Amino acid sequence: MTDFPLPVRGEISASASVPQAPYGAWGLRLAALSYLAAFIVVPVMVIYVQGLRFGLDTFLESLSRPDTANAIRLSIWTAALMTVINTVMGTLTAYVLVAYRFPGKKLFNLLIDIPFAVPTLVIGVMLVVAYGPQTFLGAFFEDQLGIRIVFNTPGIVLALLFVGYPFVVRTVQPVLAQLDANQQEAAHTIGASPWATFYRVILPVLRPAILTGALLSFARSLGEFGSIVIISGNIPMRTQTATVYIYTQIEEGNIQAAAGASAVLLFVSFVVTIGVDLFLRRQQHA
Amino acid sequence: MREVTPRSFPAIALVVIVIAYAIILLVVPFITIIQGAFEDGLQPVLDTFSHIDVRHALLVSFVLSVIALSVNAIFGLITAWVLVRHRFTGRRLFDALVDIPFVFATPIAGYATIVMFGRTGWFAPTIIPIVFAYPAIVLVKIFVSLPFITREIQPVLGTLSPDYEEAAYTIGANRWLTFRRVILPEIWTALLYGIVLTFARMIGEFGAVSVVGGALEGYTETATTFIFRALKDRDNTGGYSMSVLLCIISVIILIVMNQLKSRFADSAVRQSQG
Amino acid sequence: MSIKLYEVSKFYGTQAVVRNVSLEIQPGELFVLLGASGSGKSTLLRMIAGLVTPDNGRILLHGRDVTQLPPQQRGTGFVFQNYSLFRHMTVAQNIEFGLSIRRRKAQDRQQRVQELLNLIELPEYGNRMPNQLSGGQQQRVALARALAYDPNVLLLDEPFGALDVKIRAQLRQNLKVIQQKLGVTAILVTHDQEEAFEVADRIGIIERGELLEVGVPSELYHRPQHRFTATFLGTANLLQARRNGSNVYLGDVAVPAPPNTEHLSGQSVEILARPEEIALSHDRPHTTHPTIGQGIVEMVLFAGPLQRVIVRLTGQHEGQVVTALLSPDDARTANLRVGQQVWVSIKAYALLPTETNEDIHPSLEHQAKTSGLKG
Repeated sequence: MTDFPLPVRGEISASASVPQAPYGAWGLRLAALSYLAAFIVVPVMVIYVQGLRFGLDTFLESLSRPDTANAIRLSIWTAALMTVINTVMGTLTAYVLVAYRFPGKKLFNLLIDIPFAVPTLVIGVMLVVAYGPQTFLGAFFEDQLGIRIVFNTPGIVLALLFVGYPFVVRTVQPVLAQLDANQQEAAHTIGASPWATFYRVILPVLRPAILTGALLSFARSLGEFGSIVIISGNIPMRTQTATVYIYTQIEEGNIQAAAGASAVLLFVSFVVTIGVDLFLRRQQHA
Repeated sequence: MREVTPRSFPAIALVVIVIAYAIILLVVPFITIIQGAFEDGLQPVLDTFSHIDVRHALLVSFVLSVIALSVNAIFGLITAWVLVRHRFTGRRLFDALVDIPFVFATPIAGYATIVMFGRTGWFAPTIIPIVFAYPAIVLVKIFVSLPFITREIQPVLGTLSPDYEEAAYTIGANRWLTFRRVILPEIWTALLYGIVLTFARMIGEFGAVSVVGGALEGYTETATTFIFRALKDRDNTGGYSMSVLLCIISVIILIVMNQLKSRFADSAVRQSQG
Repeated sequence: MSIKLYEVSKFYGTQAVVRNVSLEIQPGELFVLLGASGSGKSTLLRMIAGLVTPDNGRILLHGRDVTQLPPQQRGTGFVFQNYSLFRHMTVAQNIEFGLSIRRRKAQDRQQRVQELLNLIELPEYGNRMPNQLSGGQQQRVALARALAYDPNVLLLDEPFGALDVKIRAQLRQNLKVIQQKLGVTAILVTHDQEEAFEVADRIGIIERGELLEVGVPSELYHRPQHRFTATFLGTANLLQARRNGSNVYLGDVAVPAPPNTEHLSGQSVEILARPEEIALSHDRPHTTHPTIGQGIVEMVLFAGPLQRVIVRLTGQHEGQVVTALLSPDDARTANLRVGQQVWVSIKAYALLPTETNEDIHPSLEHQAKTSGLKG
């Protein structure tokens, strides 16, 4: 034995512990589940109960109103267009970030996260200032190309491009970084051109990550509000997306229209998110 | 994948296109809004921030965000723990629920709050007002940023073997000590990262806050709802100035996030070696 | 510090992972729980540590009933297979953790940490981080961490399982030396019988949740009570026989019954002969060892210092395969070739009651045979 004194038994229990309490674990679980129930389940239920409160017929009728239908259509097609552009640009950005060395790369990598940090309302303000007709860029687009950006649908797409930019980049980047360099070298030795290597060797590995990023940014865009309310000009039937429409209806006290559109918009978002979730699960099992 | 210096024309072109895209999309607006704010010099900007309502709006944004943040930090941590360590029926469902606020349009969140806590709402408050007052703003801030902390901590906790806690238990550490001295140091970086993301999201929240707060000047007006009002009132300098200030806060947040990320990377290296 | 278990059981659902285990471990003893993976040995150890609560039975540490106590109040030292060192703490902080929880004075703590670093022969490593150490070093630190607060008992769960063979052998010896030096009562769980033989004062064989038998290593090896023990510990040659009177009959070959086997009288039994107790010769031997018959040499294998010979018996025991380990001298004398006919005799043997095949889990039996003694 060492000459170090043995602990007196009382000493251990006094300093060490309260009895292992099974109710402690239950308490934690109860806390977590109530938190999720109160802040997530209840609001979702509220929207659906509210939407169907006046009966299914009224619900469907409110959806068939031309302004409601238009707003939802506008939300979906602008989000879809943004998703296509950002999927391409996001994948290329991730590739450039992983594959190439260039000065200022660290700063560039930092820039990608700007949309996560900047308030969306401020994004809207920034874009209006940058691309408004009185600015150089705005004037260029309007006079030379005949495209009016601000207070118009291109502005909505532009805002969504800004907001959705990091999603594909950040889902694809880690997968690319982990890609085995030997695979590409093997492809080169077999005689594949750089393009064939990218298309036939790299892209198939990236496909799940790209698709996940794309769907996430799509779902996120459907719910985007702050930047759009500024840049769209909120013109009914023309630049009113679903979120802006719902906001306007709430402000005007038109509860029924707001409830119906909310229920539909959330439903589309959920389908997309659940799709991502199921897709990811299948990928993990495969 | 191995990093190379671009040499061929297509490679250089690719790098240039990508950088140009990001700069036009992300950086140019940044610069133009600073220009816009200072168009008439420094004085109007300073005037904006000397206005008592503007200061109040900033204070409201900050204080209410800190309150909501502490709720999400504590419960987000507990939720991550329960979702990773506990096994119970419905766990997968609850896990999936966490992501909902990511895709939940924020005005709808505000609307749901009014339906619940408005004067004629389901749970109409009797003692203190909730809607068009601070409590509702805190509630919606909690909702819109709920996923961040849980989602940052979950993967890190997942890599910690339960042996790790059990080792501490056998040595004599109780649950609280084990959490504080053994678990917390491991998840600290992830928790901070989640907190920073949450804070950024809360400060910048507009849609829900505007719906439930009513944006009453000098009371429930926040930094973002102030911008909205200023632009409506054609006070461009005011709106732009506040936007620039929020941008500066965002840049600070971005830099902090970046620092934390490199710490993540360090600890990942440490773990793979260990 | 003694450890006593009374009819301890643990069920997961309806499946018993530990079934009615009773056991008494003496102060200062190093007891090894040996079993295949999934045998319930780790669960048993974790119940002693308080990490798992038993469904039945009682656990006493030094006469104190700890069955319902949380792990924090049992004062055990536990060493995990994957070390589980706290990654963000230095080696010294890891070792000190148990002392700081017990609010020892800073000066005492430092002194104790240095003592332990010396004990594990890493005196200069206090300021390193765990990831800067090799696996073997990490496991020594884990041992020091578990010993720092003078635990009632030291519990080791496959402590060397993640290490390579050479370091494993070295650490075993270290462990034995440290354990004897401190006189701490210890239980080590392993599936490696070589490890068990090397460190154990006594071994408990655990299989499918049941403690089959307990004994000192040589006793268990030479005179096991169960077929599972016989096959799990080293290679076993088992021959069907019947005990009658003072003899055991292998067909019509009679060999004297070993002492203390009267209770098996009139029963069908199995003769256990370890490979090193088998003698092979070209001519019928004129020794006192019983000769059991003839066979054909099927394989002659180089096994380091010894020679391993596989013989297929002919005649009465047609088809039965016997493994023999020959010393260099014997190997030279016999000079065996594949295909030769040899006489097989047994120098020493034990008796086992015959168990029906259903008693033995087929996969475990296979595992036991393949993990036999090497060399």
